[in-house]
This record gives sequence, C-alpha cells and structure tokens, in this order.
Amino acid sequence: MSREEAPGEEGFREFEDFLKHWSRRDFVKRMGIGAAYTAFLAGGVEFMEACANAGTGNPTTVTPKKGGHLTEGTISDIKTLNPVLTSDTASSEIVGLLYDSLLNLTANGDLRPLLAKALPQTSSDGLTYTVTLRDNIKWTDGSPITADDVKMTYDFMFDPQYKDVNSPRRGDLEQYVKSITVKDAKTIVFTLKSVYAPFAVNQLQYGILPKKLWGSLAPKEVNTTDMNTGPTVTSGVFKFQKWDKGQQVTLARNDGYWQGAPYLDTFIYKVVADSVAIGNQLKTGEIDYGQIDPSQFSDLSAQSSLSVVTFPVAIFTFYAYNQNSTAKVAQMFSDKAVRQALLYALDRQGMADALYFKQAVVATSSMPPISWAYNKDAKPQYPHDPAKANSMLDAAGWAKGSDGIRAKGGQKLSFTMITNAGNKVRENSLVAMQDAWKQIGVDATPKLITFPQLVAQITNDRSYDVFLVGFSWSAEPDQSALWHSRNTAPGGFNGFSYKSSAMDKILDDAVATLDQNKRKQLYFQMQDILNDEVPAPILVFNKGIWGINKRVQGMTGGDFGLGTYTQFQNKAWMRTTFVSDGK
Amino acid sequence: MAVDQTALTQLEGTPVQYEGALARPAQSYWSESWERLRGSRFGMFFGGILVLLALIAIAAPLVPIFVTHVQPTSVNLSGSFGSFSSAHLLGTDELGRDTFTRLVYAARVSLGVGFLAVALYLLIGGTVGITAGFYGGVTDDLLMRFVDILLAIPTIYLLILITSMLPLPVGPIIIKHDAISLSVIIAITVWGGVARLVRGEVLSVKNRDFMLATRSIGASNLRLMARHLLPNVLPVMIVAASLGVGQIILTEAALDFIGLGVQPPTASWGNMLLNAQSYFYHSTSLVILPGVCIVVAVLSANIFGNAVRDAFDPRLK
Amino acid sequence: MLARYVVRRAVASIPVVFGVTLITFTLLHATSGAFVPGLELNPNLRPADIIRIRNNLGLNDPLPLQYWHWIAGAWPPSFHCSGGLICGDFGRSLVDGSPVRDHILERLPNTLELTITAILLGVLISIPLGVVGALRRGSVIDNFFTFLSVAGVSIPSFWLALLLILLFSVSFHAWGLPWLPSGGAVNSFEGGDPIDRLTHLILPASCLAFVYIAIWSRFTRSSMLETLSQDYVRTARAKGMSERRVTYLHALRNSLVPLVTLIGLELPGLVSGGAIIEIVFSWPGVGRLALERALQYDYTMVLGLTTFIALLVVIGNLLADVLYGLLDPRIRYA
Repeated sequence: MSREEAPGEEGFREFEDFLKHWSRRDFVKRMGIGAAYTAFLAGGVEFMEACANAGTGNPTTVTPKKGGHLTEGTISDIKTLNPVLTSDTASSEIVGLLYDSLLNLTANGDLRPLLAKALPQTSSDGLTYTVTLRDNIKWTDGSPITADDVKMTYDFMFDPQYKDVNSPRRGDLEQYVKSITVKDAKTIVFTLKSVYAPFAVNQLQYGILPKKLWGSLAPKEVNTTDMNTGPTVTSGVFKFQKWDKGQQVTLARNDGYWQGAPYLDTFIYKVVADSVAIGNQLKTGEIDYGQIDPSQFSDLSAQSSLSVVTFPVAIFTFYAYNQNSTAKVAQMFSDKAVRQALLYALDRQGMADALYFKQAVVATSSMPPISWAYNKDAKPQYPHDPAKANSMLDAAGWAKGSDGIRAKGGQKLSFTMITNAGNKVRENSLVAMQDAWKQIGVDATPKLITFPQLVAQITNDRSYDVFLVGFSWSAEPDQSALWHSRNTAPGGFNGFSYKSSAMDKILDDAVATLDQNKRKQLYFQMQDILNDEVPAPILVFNKGIWGINKRVQGMTGGDFGLGTYTQFQNKAWMRTTFVSDGK
Repeated sequence: MAVDQTALTQLEGTPVQYEGALARPAQSYWSESWERLRGSRFGMFFGGILVLLALIAIAAPLVPIFVTHVQPTSVNLSGSFGSFSSAHLLGTDELGRDTFTRLVYAARVSLGVGFLAVALYLLIGGTVGITAGFYGGVTDDLLMRFVDILLAIPTIYLLILITSMLPLPVGPIIIKHDAISLSVIIAITVWGGVARLVRGEVLSVKNRDFMLATRSIGASNLRLMARHLLPNVLPVMIVAASLGVGQIILTEAALDFIGLGVQPPTASWGNMLLNAQSYFYHSTSLVILPGVCIVVAVLSANIFGNAVRDAFDPRLK
Repeated sequence: MLARYVVRRAVASIPVVFGVTLITFTLLHATSGAFVPGLELNPNLRPADIIRIRNNLGLNDPLPLQYWHWIAGAWPPSFHCSGGLICGDFGRSLVDGSPVRDHILERLPNTLELTITAILLGVLISIPLGVVGALRRGSVIDNFFTFLSVAGVSIPSFWLALLLILLFSVSFHAWGLPWLPSGGAVNSFEGGDPIDRLTHLILPASCLAFVYIAIWSRFTRSSMLETLSQDYVRTARAKGMSERRVTYLHALRNSLVPLVTLIGLELPGLVSGGAIIEIVFSWPGVGRLALERALQYDYTMVLGLTTFIALLVVIGNLLADVLYGLLDPRIRYA
C-alpha cells in the first residue's frame, strides 16, 4: 500500500488516525492493512460498526451473494474419503464437508451439537451418554439419518466383527467404551467402562456413514470399496463431485442440506507443490485461501488482494530429554538442574521471532493459552537467562573443560538431537539450539532422519539422546498421551520415559470426573509439576496463519468463523461463506 | 613357464623408425593431446576457473579465519536477512548465518561430489567394461545384461528411490545424507554408460596385433588388462569423464533441491536454493547467488571438459 | 529376417524387466519397513493396531512370499489372473490402498503431454538456430548462439524454473501484465479448455526444451556444416543451382537425418525425462507422483511406478532398435 494510492495527503492522515483509534493488534492483524484501508475508503463508519459486530456475530454489512466457487490450496492430497479410516488432516478436511458428525466445536473449542439435537445427556454416574438426533437431518438421497447409521459407523471402529477394518480409532474406543446401543430411531446410547471426561470431545466428532450403502459390506470391503474414493450418498454441506488424484477434489453444493444450502456452488480443494506455491497462487488468485508459513506472513499481508488472519492453535513444538534407563544420556538428564539449565539457555523468544517470524508464542506451560485449563501463573518460568544456566550447571558439578565443553566425572555434556528432515523450522530450531547450548559449554549435534524413523524412535527404539518434534492437543485438556507412565510402553508417545505416580494420579483423576472445576484444579497442578520437572519442554505454541482472498466473505468472525478449532475437519463457517463477485 | 621379461619390454617399447624420413620426433598420444589442450584458450581459461573453485573449496576452513570471521554455522537470530555489508559480504540467511561463508563451504560439497562421483563411476564402469570385453562369453553376457537392467531404470527414479530411504542401516554402517554417500550412490547409478563404452572399445582393441603378440609371449590376463587394454581405453574414459563433472554437479544440486540430497545444516548450493525459495520475499540474493555459483562451476567444467574432449579424443585425429 | 530380429530383441528384454523388478523390490525392502500409513503422531494408535494394520497389508509375510505376490499374485499359483505384475496389477498404495495402475494411467498422459511438447518445441527452435549458426559461421551471432548453448547445459533446470515462475507468474501479475500460471496443468475451476492447458504448459515445456535446444542446435549446426562441405553440394552449386535451393533442398534435409537419430534417443526417456520440472511446476505427471510418494514412504507405489517406467524404457529401446533395424539393414544381421 503506497502513498500514491491515497486520495490525498489528508485522506492518508485520516487513515492513520483511524488506525490509531482502532487497536492495530486486533483488527488490522486479522484483516490486513490493505483491507483496512480499502474498507476505510469504502465507508469508515459502517465499517467500524461492522468491526464492533465482529466480536459477536458474522459481519453483516455486506449482503451475501449466491453462487461461485471457492478454492482452498493445500500441500497434501487426500488419501481417503471414509471417516472411519482417515488419519491425515487433508482427508479429514474433506470428509468433514461431506459427512456431518454428531457434535462439533466452535472456533474456541466449545462443544456444539450438529446431527445431535443437543449436547449428550450424561447419566449421574457419568457412564452413559445419550445422544438424540435431530428430526430434520437427511442424506443426500432424501432418506432420514437415523440411529442405525450412527451405530453402524461406530461398529466399524469398535465392534469385534469389524476387526479387519483398518480404523485408527479402534484402540481408544475399545479401551473406554463398553457398548453402543440403539434405543430408538433417533436415540443412541454409549455406555462407557469408566468415567472418561474427554469422551464427547474426542469420540463424538466422527462423520456418520449411511447404513443403506455400507451396512452390507464385509469388513475387508470397507477398506477397499469405491465409496472411499467416490462417495455417493453423503450428508454434509457439500456433495462429492470428483477427485482428480494428485490435483484436486471438487465438491458441489448440497441443496438439501438440513441447515440450509450454502451460498457457494462449488468447493475445490487444490493440491499444490509446497508452501511457496500456495503463496504464489494466493497472489495470482489461482487459489482463494490456504494455510501459509510464518515466513510468508509479511509478504502476503502486504498484498492488496489478500487478508491474512492469525489465531492461536494447540499445535506446538517440543523437545525431550531421553530418560529411559537404557539411554546413555539418562544419567546426565536425570538431574533436574541440568534439564532446567538447558531450558534457561534457550532464547525461545528469539527463535519465535526469527524462525517463526513472530508468528508463534513462547510456551509458559504445557497447556495452550486458549484452553480453559490454562494456568497463566504456572511456575517456574524460563526466560532466556544464559548466566543462570551457567551457574546452575556449575553448581551441579559440570565444569567447563579446556575445549570449552562441560564435563563431570569423565562424562562430557555432549549429545545428539534428532528431528525429521524436510521441516525447515524444525531443522533450523536444532541449529539455533545447538548454537545457544554451545554458548554455555554444551555440545549438541543436530541429526536429521526421516519422519517414520523419528516416530519409530519416539515410540519404540528410544535410542536417541534428545528429539524435537511437533505435536498437537485436541480441544480436550487431557495430556496423558505424553505424560502418563502407561504410554511409556512400546507404541506410546511418552518416549522419554517420564514416570511419576503423582502425575499419573492427577491425569487419571482429571479424566474420571465430569466436574470442570475439579478438572481445572488438577490440570493447574499438572502444569506446575511439569514446569518444575521439565521432562520435555515445549518451545512454542504455533499460530494458525491463513491467507484469504478479499473476494471471500463470511469466513471469519463469530463463534463459527475460521479459528482455532474450525480450521480443518470442522469448517463450520462454510455455510455463511460467499464470494463477493459471485464467480 | 616363465615369462620372458626382456622380450616383453622390448615388444612394448619398440619405437617406429623410418630411415631418412624428415619427421619431427614421434610424440606419444599423451603429450600430443596435452599440447593440444594447452592450445585451447577457452579451455585453459575455464580450466583455471575450475581449479580456482577447487582451491577455494579446499581452503574453506581458512575463510572464516581470514576473510569473514564467522563460522558457517554461527547463528544470529536477530540478524536474519541482512543486506550486503562489510561484516557480511553477501548478506545473511534466515538464521543470520553468513552467506559468503556458507557458499564457500557449499562449494566443497558440490565440487567434491562432482569429482568423487566421476572418479568412482570411471572406476566401476571401467573395471566392468574391461572385464566384460576381455573375457567375453558368459561373463560378458551376464555383466552387460546387468548393465542393461541398470540402464533401464531412469536415473532420477533410481536416485529418488535410494535417497528417500536414507538414513539406511546396512549391516554395521548407516548410510546417511552426506556428500561421500551421495557420491557413491550417484556413481552406482550412472556407471552403466561408461561400462558399455569401455567394453566397446575393448572389443575393438582386443584383437589387434600387439595384443595377440603380447598374449603369445605369455603375459597374464591381469597384466594384459591393466598394462595394455587400460591405456588404450583411457581416452574413451577421459572423454566420458570430461562432461561428466558438470552433469554430476547438476544432478547433485537437483537432488538437494527436492530435499533428498545433502541435508541441513550442511550447506550445499542446491539446498541453499531450496531454503531460499520460501524466503524470496525477504531476500532476493539468496535465490540468485547459489544458482550463479552452480552455473559458474558447471560452465567451467563443461567448457574445460569440451576442450579436454577435443584434445584427447582419438577419433578426432 | 526382420521378424526374427524383433523377436530376438524382445526375448532379450524379458530378463531385463525381471531384473528391474528384483532390483527395485530389493531396494525398497532394504529398509526396516517399519512404516505403517497413518502412523503420524496420533496418540490413539496402539501397538496392537499397528500389528493388525501391517498384517492386513501383508507387510509381515516373508520377503520371498511378498515378491511372489508382487510378481504373480496369490500363492499357491493358479491359472486365472489373481493379480501380480503378470496380470498387469502393479500393486496397491500403502497410503490409501488404491491401485497403483490407476494412478499411473491418470498421470501418464500429462507427462507425455509435457515431454512431447518440449521435444516439438526443441526441434522447432533448434533447427533455425543451428542453420543460422552454420550459415553465418564465425560471425557474432554464431558465437552468441554457441555461448547460449554452452550456458544452456550449465544452468540447473530447477533454478531456471524458479526464476521463470518468479518472473512470468508472480512479478508479471504484480506489475499488472498478462501473467502465466505458476503450476498445475489446468485451472482448478472451469479449466481444461485448450487455451487454459496451453497457458499452463508454456513455462514447464519451455524449461524442459531449454536443454534440448542447447544440445540440438549445436548438433544441427555441425551436421549442417558437414553436409555443406560435401561434394554433391559443391556439384549442385557448380551446376548453377541457387544458393537458397542448395541450402534448404539438399543440405538441410540431409543434415537433419542424424538429428532424427538424436531425437530417437529421447524416446525411451519420454516418460522419465521431465521429473524435476514436474516437481517444480506441480505438473501432475508420473515424475512428481514418484517424488510425492517417495516422501510419504509409499513403498509399493514407488516400486510399481519405477517398474512401470522401466518397462516403458525397455519397450522404448525395443522400438528404437526395430526402427534402426528397418533403416539400417546391416544391424539386422549382427
């Protein structure tokens, strides 16, 4: 945006006042400076009002236009269109548009009923969840969605007779669910083996399949049926049109959608080579919106045709100290002072600024700040303090040798760090960490391996010294996957062998009650313990960054706008989205 | 039966003499070719550039000490995407590392792989070609059939296949994404062409008089192959190698660019370009400089290689 | 005679094909094979799940059995087709279970479109460049073309592609000029018409043709020079034929024959040649498929793809051999 665009010097000055008046952080960051200026030119007052509305509902000043297409750019192609089999983000994104689920989430992570009439009714002992379906929900062929459809879908993932279905959800369902029964055409009852608070959030958001077409399939056929690549009868806001493998998926409006048809005619999920291509195609308009890298934030924000929205997400990067008894470094890392000192030595804010281009937030505890269980006062905290790191290591007996590397009892404070190749931010993180630790006399060497090898190391081999990887929490605050001792078993993600019976009890108690206040207290305790013990410190929490073409309206703002929990599988904003040129 | 050494040496070293002929002294193939090469101005100039690049690459560790005063791995999070300055001659990258130093270290990788891979594929291809051509029969059939199989798989696919499996534990060692392993992998993929070439040349030399004569004296197979066949097929191998260096440098850079070659934090021109691609908005020089380096290196190798081929190709007499 | 020659060459190709499958199979299974699709950082996958999924995909069978499945389908063998290479089944993707053959057939036309266009472009531009160079030998323009040729084979194709995209796609769009798309084969929405396909094809095909032009223009030039110095050309001139007729009627036509040989050498590489270009331009061809799937450790897909491509190369070589056999009778009797 250059001065030549200003209608006059005066206009520009007024715009600057406008920006000062309206909090830059909030509004401008979400809509982009270009958008702000254009909007200001278009009619400042109405626009300011619209912004006031943005907090509570969708901006309503522009009348929605029917028709047109919307193209999302993505790096990965989908793999399957079967909600029972999906395990990757891309597939679940499209599945979410094709098949509705019992519940979904608002942008902030609150549960909302979708196919269900209301949130599940829980019994007083917390063991049964009764879900009643709405009356007006139907499949694209006109027939109503019934409890039988729900039961069949869950049977694929739970019932012993469907063991041959390659569903990644079977493990969890088998562990927590005792039975699933149909009470009547509109009611399903889930009975659990024990009270499990995360059940509704984690297990009731799967797309439901129509029994009419799927009920007669043999278990193995569920894995290979053509309906996995070309679904015929669906229930979601869009219908399947075609899938050009490796290029794009095309969806068409579902006119009979029970919530009302969307404005758009077509939705296209276009596969491009990499994030650079997403940036390029956003600029040329070949795609309408897509998730972008932090490095592209400033470039795309400066484009007059685009707005860039950012919001916190529960995705983070963390590293772990191997404390498996067989690890060579276990002795080294068993000393809490060492673990803490190493964390003090890292300039995490510097990393967030340079590696994430300021589009990430330094983690203050293991809980994402957006969670209702977030403890903002978790102690201790770890600001960048190399002096403290040095003194802590000195006090712990690690003296600097002649080569500048600390040693104790003949063992050098030296180790390798692994992460997966191909992820620039992670690779660069290791380089930054190596440098920061070199300053305090610690010799850390980065090593890149393939992603499957990394996963194998974390879940099975566990012969690494330190690993760095990304992870994500669901809208549920339960963090047993990383911190519970039972997940130190082979296959579990507690690959650094953190075992604490106190922590186990906190985690178990926290999921065994539905009382949110009680859970919150327990999670506060959990965060304090983790901040003290730092078995696997979290570096930063990422931000979701999306570039959106200005012609796209109705995608952001309000409870269901594009946000933390409405990025991928849950595109609750698709109903209100339209393109201003109707094309 | 003892080999008559004297007779053998005599046979090899007999110069051809014509009485009374006004001829300039007979030159060996080698000195004649070398002289021809020296005469090519372009060739020598670019050969010089190649040597210069190689020297800079070898002397890479000296650069941080005497020229730039920073290591290629020194991170400076607050100094990313710096512009050209006295402290950073060619600016800095996304982690604040000095671009000039990294380019110099990257030269080691690119040139190293270029020369090492060529040496290796000459070694493998030459050995196989000579063996197959010399022994003929079943050996020849088997070896050449294997070469056919290898050549049927397009190079890039084979490379993608193999490099996507790294790091790969093979017995006691782990093959990683480093320059030496890549040289070996590339050499293994492309030696087939040289083998065919060498074998063809061996077939035509095999039945010449001097070969039959030498064999009749009782020279061992190994001696025949090493001392007699090899020098005669060397020109063909040199020709093959002359353009190979440039080709290999390009192949290695392409592998790095698609993410399957040398991995960060080790710098190579190819993976510097891969990185720079995402940060084009923040720094144009990062996209231009490594590419220019590749072009200069490959151009020099190609022009010098052309000159070598012109000078050494026995068929161009 | 010819038939016997063809049959001989064809029979000789079969062991090559099997050798290829053996090599690719061995290479891919040299890894620990620990990968199971979907095993991302999903806290919900239990060890029992992983074992179950691996079993369902047949990854736990002994290697020779897996190879048999791969070549000939189910064990024990039966006469009707139960899968395997022999029946044209190139396996199923480890990542989504879809047949490899479908992916290949979908993408192959795109690759051919790219490489054939590049070859045509190469021929169209190389010939005039080479002729001009030969006719104006030693002139400034000849030296310039020579320099371009040498530079052409020295520029990394992916770098050229990158620069072209930045210029013709992003920068042109920013400057308000008519711009070219930066990737893909067609517009995602209402694309597919010939004009649309053409605009998407220009940049990648030009990039690919770049190297062809560099080499073939040189070759045309030297071939032309050689022809022009032949006796029959001098005779034609002496007979009073106009210079232009001499050039185009005689010299050019005859100097093109060796060029055809060169182009023929490209036949086997028709399917594999543009892999890097495909990757940079997100061109939906088989080359990009190979890289994408290799990065996802979709072993069976890469295995099937490589085998298929090698098969095409063998067939391409066979065709080239037959062609030369037709053209040059001496070869048939070798």
